[in-house]
Amino acid sequence: MVLINLGALSDSELRYIAQQEGFGDWEDADREDLIERLQEKYEDEDNPVPETKGAGTTRRYLTSLTDFGMEASSSDELPGVEKLPEDYNSTSIHLLIRDPQWAYVYWSVAPATREVLDDKNGCGLFLRVRLQQEGSEIPVDFDIEVGLNDSEWNINLNDSSGVYSILLCYRQADGTIQQLATSGSVAMYRPYWADHYAEIGAEADLFNIYFSSLVTRSGEPVDNQIIRNIARIFTEGENNAEN
Amino acid sequence: MPKTNYVAFILNAHLPYVRHLEYPRFLEEDWLYEAISETYLPMIRMLNRIADDQLPVRLVISVSPTLATMLGDEPLQERFLAYLEKHIELGQKEVQRTASEQREYAEMAQEYLNRYQSDLEDFEACGHNILESFRRLEERGVVQLITTAATHAYLPLYQEFPAAINAQIELGIKSHLENFGRISRGFWLPECGYFPGLERYLRAKGVQWFQCSSQSMLLSPDRVDAGNLRPVRCPNGVVAFPRDYELTSLVWSNTEGYPCDPHYREFYRDIGYDLPMDYIRDYIDASGQRIFTGYKYCAITGKTNEKVPYVPSIARDLVRVHASNFLYNVQDKARRTSKLIGEKPFFTLAFDCELFGHWWYEGIDWLEQVLRQSCGNDCTTEMTTPSNFLETKPNLQTARPAFSSWGVGGFSSTWLDGSNQWIYRHVFEAIKRMSELAERFPDQTSLKRRFLNQAAREVLLAMASDWPFIMYSKSDATYARKRFEGHLENFNVVYSNMCKNAVNTEWLVKAERKDLIFKDVDYNIFRS
Repeated sequence: MVLINLGALSDSELRYIAQQEGFGDWEDADREDLIERLQEKYEDEDNPVPETKGAGTTRRYLTSLTDFGMEASSSDELPGVEKLPEDYNSTSIHLLIRDPQWAYVYWSVAPATREVLDDKNGCGLFLRVRLQQEGSEIPVDFDIEVGLNDSEWNINLNDSSGVYSILLCYRQADGTIQQLATSGSVAMYRPYWADHYAEIGAEADLFNIYFSSLVTRSGEPVDNQIIRNIARIFTEGENNAEN
Repeated sequence: MPKTNYVAFILNAHLPYVRHLEYPRFLEEDWLYEAISETYLPMIRMLNRIADDQLPVRLVISVSPTLATMLGDEPLQERFLAYLEKHIELGQKEVQRTASEQREYAEMAQEYLNRYQSDLEDFEACGHNILESFRRLEERGVVQLITTAATHAYLPLYQEFPAAINAQIELGIKSHLENFGRISRGFWLPECGYFPGLERYLRAKGVQWFQCSSQSMLLSPDRVDAGNLRPVRCPNGVVAFPRDYELTSLVWSNTEGYPCDPHYREFYRDIGYDLPMDYIRDYIDASGQRIFTGYKYCAITGKTNEKVPYVPSIARDLVRVHASNFLYNVQDKARRTSKLIGEKPFFTLAFDCELFGHWWYEGIDWLEQVLRQSCGNDCTTEMTTPSNFLETKPNLQTARPAFSSWGVGGFSSTWLDGSNQWIYRHVFEAIKRMSELAERFPDQTSLKRRFLNQAAREVLLAMASDWPFIMYSKSDATYARKRFEGHLENFNVVYSNMCKNAVNTEWLVKAERKDLIFKDVDYNIFRS
């Protein structure tokens, strides 16, 4: 997989990559055509070639311009080794925080439990997203219906602070809810400045203290949505004040 | 002039554990050989020059346990020698070829040949073990060496498994002690990945400070008075040094950083791709796969096929200009901000070590110029380390850093997205099972102990942040996937055997020979 700036490559490098990628006319196509088609190819991938570390971008782990795709060889396999299973025959659920807005959840259901759920056509399985906020004894819950064949979900956390956990639940025909598994809990904290935009907006020195270390020379902020929001609110506040 | 501000360079020297002696040559091992030749040895030479001149500067290098293990591995050292000899042979051919066919490249061909020959001499001089050279640099006072997580695991995603986080940190500290004879007082957080509470694990191992991402202060639940301009003390006393994005981006940015200057050397233009197969065949992969050879003659020039030849003298002049410009920016920022915070600002600059020399060919010269120019009478910047700074007993605010990393978007999405999220189902299960084995079979001896220790190695190696990163960046995803799956498939051999109270000795002997890392690991660290 090509990772680099295609425009920086020589014609021979581009032809080589095109050949690796299976372009039939890699020898005859012209430079611009190759660049355009390679870019299109990579943009079509599930995950376009990403930038890493914000504005910085040295890409580690290259020995070549294409994924070498080392062929499986029996010489490095040890005796008694079997392929990883797809599942682990247990009922469990796990919560991983991707960022303050999104979490990734995966789960599995043990065969015996699955059989019971199968009898009910899998209806009634759901995720209960639980948020225990500071100072509140009653958790905030919201439910997400899932199918028996689902095993992972991306959950919008709405940038709320508190302690999150996810319950894998089953709603029986009579309405009673059976809890199949509970994830570990993860605490999320609300940034101080998220509730004090006005303070940072009103005080230029404060804004400069923070943002002097969060933007490039040309004013590009660090790659972070929350910081962009604060910067935007501050800028809008300034514009409004001027108007 | 009096020093009115501090800069701490913290360089992360890390590579995943790659050792495939079962192959005559293995492409991914070149990551190590390229890094030794293009970064570590030139960096050591540069820092020795600084020490020879007794300049009052110091920087931090984190040497990851996986890298340290490979640097100390005799078979890999032998293979690096073969790598050097091959590159010297190619260099000799290139000096001849360019003299007659491409005179505009002749100077660089000779420069590369000279460097490979210097590498060979230096490598011989340190007994093939450059850990020894790093150790000497620390003794000479020009470097502080620190450690990181055992296999450079991205820790925020392992919050559910305290035993695994603890194992990563404990083995990192232990490995550092074995390699360098000192307790590591600093700890490089892999990928600058921090989550609230991580400092508890660090403090328990005697760590005094860690570096963290640029946004960790602005997103703190506390009002951090000095933003990123001063470190903060976590409530448990461990000190967090936030990265300064503005100053970092002078170097790191791919759009406006110094390495983008069109006169600097182009990384991607390499004779491994440009020269006819008949000529280059012996120096690329045996399969005919074209790879980088390290012989690169063009300047960046611009986004064009018509690259101009690289001119070392122009680049050398630019390096001096860029070093001056960097220090100008540091001092200018210090002037602007010290009034605002009422203290001397402390700028933390954290980079991958391999940026210098390997990716940015002129990077080590630039760093040397920065260090030297900072010692000038007219420079107000002191090049120091977090540890030296803390020895001055500075007045620091107590605050909690925020969950963050230096990855895309500032959180965990680089290591948890559509390309790699599948791995956690497997690695979490392996950690859970490893803890289960440690609880069920505590303090085993002899063969079972070795069996369980090997299981612990496999789990730790699977946790490396490198595998999900490579899957995400698609640079060598096939290999990353194979490695990740391989470690957990191996782990499952132990698990299934131990569940039957058996030991697969054939597997054990071969597995131990394959992964010569963490030789003193004790699987009991996975007990909760």
